[in-house]
Amino acid sequence: MDIPVIETERLRLRGLGPDDVGAVAAFYASDRAKYVGGPKTLDASWRAVATEIGHWTLKGFGRFAIEEKATGAFVGVTGPWEPPSFPEPELGWDLMEGFEGKGYATEAAAAARDWCYRALGLATLISAVNPLNAASARVAERLGAAHESDFEHELFGLVQIWRHPGPEASS
Amino acid sequence: MTEALSITTERLRLRPIAPEDFPHWRAFYATDHSRFVGGPKSEEDAWWKLTQFVGDWAMSGHGFWSVETKDGDYLGRVGLEIAPNWTAPELGWSFLPEAGGKGYATEAAAAVRAHERRRMGYDEVHSFIHPDNEASARVAQRLGAAPDVAIEAPWAEHVVYRHPPEAA
Repeated sequence: MDIPVIETERLRLRGLGPDDVGAVAAFYASDRAKYVGGPKTLDASWRAVATEIGHWTLKGFGRFAIEEKATGAFVGVTGPWEPPSFPEPELGWDLMEGFEGKGYATEAAAAARDWCYRALGLATLISAVNPLNAASARVAERLGAAHESDFEHELFGLVQIWRHPGPEASS
Repeated sequence: MTEALSITTERLRLRPIAPEDFPHWRAFYATDHSRFVGGPKSEEDAWWKLTQFVGDWAMSGHGFWSVETKDGDYLGRVGLEIAPNWTAPELGWSFLPEAGGKGYATEAAAAVRAHERRRMGYDEVHSFIHPDNEASARVAQRLGAAPDVAIEAPWAEHVVYRHPPEAA
């Protein structure tokens, strides 16, 4: 399946591939992955990238790699996914160490959200945020989302459900 | 992305893994029968596993097939997987309990091994098998593979079975 490329002012969103396994492994080996299923071994990171691609094949949407346009650096991952455990499609973001504090997660997730509304025709989106992950909650706030409810997720434990503004508000 | 080509054997049809297979994956991972391949797993984890197997094809150009009878009854999965730190492409198989004892795994794995050697030119093919997994060890032996303790498997406690070159 062809995964679209989305450009923002500073970032490029594109599909993940085998060349990203090293970066993904570095993320999952770091403390930053503690809220999203880490740490993972190299093997598991390889499989995590395969899973991201498989999600696109199965559902026609999935998460993007985020690249810094100026350097080509792998900045993180954002996009929608929909495992059985979530009540509806969820927009997530993971940022690599060293790229915090630049507004990259907000910029990338906003572009992914626009794509969900425009290309997939979704009417609404949620984000699941670990209550201890203050940085992620700040991104949700900057995106205009509001903490709507709490949800006991079977893998991630208790998460906050943040509801994003709909297509008309964010366009 | 590389599409899994369909393979037909005397009794079996091998086709790409599809979302419609999920109920079988859920059933397979729900019981202790899946203990040698990371199970038992919840419905959620079984879904992620299926998603990963679908994505494997795009990652590495090979992966797993769903195996069914010619009447379309789902039996299990067979295929080749490779990750960066593995010793060689790994030929693996997992079948539903009710599909056991009929030689289906051997028939399907032999077909995939021959098909992938032709297509990808592999000489070295391994299977990583847990020492307690006697059923899988028997399949490996029927395939002409033998344990090689000199090679360390990338998964803890597993034994590397080496497949014979150009096995029929």
